[in-house]
Amino acid sequence: MDSKCALLAACVTACSILGATAPALAGAELSVTVTGSTGAPVAGAVVVAEPAQSKPHPRPGLKAVMDQRDLQYVPDVLIVQTGTEVEFPNSDNVRHQVYSFSPAKTFHLSLYSGHEHAAVIFDRKGLVTLGCNIHDSMVGYIYVTDSPWYGRTGTDGSLQLHDLAPGDYTVRLWHPLLNEAGPDLQTSLRVDEGSTGTAEFRLHRPLRPDPRSLGADKKWADY
Amino acid sequence: MGRLLIRVCAAGLLLSTPVLAAQDLDLDVDLRAVSSDATPSRLDGGLGKLRYDAQHDGLRLGDLRLGYHGDLTTTLHVTAEAVAYGDHDVNPVDLTELYAEWRPIPVSAWRSRLKVGAFYPEISLENRMHGWQSPYTLSFSALNTWVGEELRTIGAQYNLDWLGRAHGHSVDVSLNAAVFGWNDTAGTVLAARGWGITDRQSTLFGRFANGGRPLLARTLFYDELDHRAGYSLGLNVKYAGRLEGRALHYDNRANPAVVAAAIQDTGWDTYFDSLGLRWTPTAEWTAISQWLHGRTYAGNVAPVNAWSYDAEFLLLSWRHGATRLSARYDRFATHQTTSDFYEYVDLYFGDRGHAWTLACDRQLNAHWNIALEGIELSSWVAQRALIGAAPQATERQLQLAVRYAL
Repeated sequence: MDSKCALLAACVTACSILGATAPALAGAELSVTVTGSTGAPVAGAVVVAEPAQSKPHPRPGLKAVMDQRDLQYVPDVLIVQTGTEVEFPNSDNVRHQVYSFSPAKTFHLSLYSGHEHAAVIFDRKGLVTLGCNIHDSMVGYIYVTDSPWYGRTGTDGSLQLHDLAPGDYTVRLWHPLLNEAGPDLQTSLRVDEGSTGTAEFRLHRPLRPDPRSLGADKKWADY
Repeated sequence: MGRLLIRVCAAGLLLSTPVLAAQDLDLDVDLRAVSSDATPSRLDGGLGKLRYDAQHDGLRLGDLRLGYHGDLTTTLHVTAEAVAYGDHDVNPVDLTELYAEWRPIPVSAWRSRLKVGAFYPEISLENRMHGWQSPYTLSFSALNTWVGEELRTIGAQYNLDWLGRAHGHSVDVSLNAAVFGWNDTAGTVLAARGWGITDRQSTLFGRFANGGRPLLARTLFYDELDHRAGYSLGLNVKYAGRLEGRALHYDNRANPAVVAAAIQDTGWDTYFDSLGLRWTPTAEWTAISQWLHGRTYAGNVAPVNAWSYDAEFLLLSWRHGATRLSARYDRFATHQTTSDFYEYVDLYFGDRGHAWTLACDRQLNAHWNIALEGIELSSWVAQRALIGAAPQATERQLQLAVRYAL
């Protein structure tokens, strides 16, 4: 194990499920678990399985919504496929001013209420960090990926991805409160037709504190 | 001149925003039932340290506040705060703040901001609501009571922000530097009456209630006497929404040798340093502590009168659902010396004291709020001997506020 790594490297196994009853063209499955430095499950981790051989073609017409409610982005993290049109409705009764200076998408939506702005197309993979120029405490994320196989871990720290095409994959892990970096946030594995692959990630450093858990108050000003 | 500038700004604001959007306005009405055994209030020419005294309790208007927070362009924002207190002020309705802020859209983790107008220096960590009100107690700490009474930046402030959270970090940092005028009388109230615990902010065109006795009768807030700009430098650091630290150095650079015949007063050269920390470990708990220490000089014949002053407080607050309980301990002192640091023995002005404040606040629905607050303040004030009173006094005030916010 690389001593520089802050993570225990993912332990990956891929085993075939043999059986005469398996359908001939059944897709593969991937089971992922993420635990924190204390061994507790990590909820809300973003997991993306990127195929190594063939790049999936973006599907046209994909749409998603990143709402703004109670001075927070909802959801806190939105995972979309490349080419997705994302709407940014403002459900608060105060104006917001969405911006991002992330390389994957640099844009801003001038001050608005309701649904004033057209959807924004996210056409380049990468992490887009959203801010609000009026409310600095508002931070949200859009994780843009070429892959159609992604999700977030549940409260038990696990995630099941279904109908993967057989082949080699790179499984990437990210979390909005991640406090570490390095190669152990991804792992490679192969899944075969009708099989279930497993990937286990264990973080070595605690997540950063979550500012969203403190809430916000519209009556508070920026004094 | 300062008032003329602010009037011009106010007129410009009204002309440039012919239609005010409803969401840009907020209105608060605060009515109170007060019981007080305090000596005559500092707001009524006395040396009592609380807003209400034994002759001014009963049903009172806490305040009637109208705030406007609008946008001239997508990056130029305007704030105006008007208030009426009903404490027989010179102006029944007056402004506490009026400023424009240029806030460009960030293109990197660094962002510049520029404020121009009349606004609060970045000191208080308890006055975090619109109108510079506190969500924790009805009355502000002694430290922030003074900020509300005598300090306003009338000029320009530049902020350089490092938006760490929008850049994948947990820390946000902001440096601020301000240049201002019209604050050459800051320190007058502190020297004459010492510290107080009230929720009364001074207004841009007002006097300090009742003509300001025992202050010099014609002293106005926010006067420019020496045409020499003051400055402040500050640092704000936030960590993951849980910790916020502030540091500020303030110096109005007033010339105490300048005599302004029109107001029968000299400049008050006032400077101080302040530190503050707010800790929010959970959504329920908040702890705030601030400290301030400085000096002020007045007079045109050396050695001039000088006062050193300091105040600090610790506030703990617990919120559960719509209910909030808060407790605060204040400690404060002013001490008269002379500019050559020898004791002033002729007519000594000074005070020292401490106070406990307990408050319970409940939000009944989106508009209605009730709050109960009790204060016990013990102080020794040298000036009380000049009016035939005992220098040591303990004052108590109980307030029940019913508040409606539109």
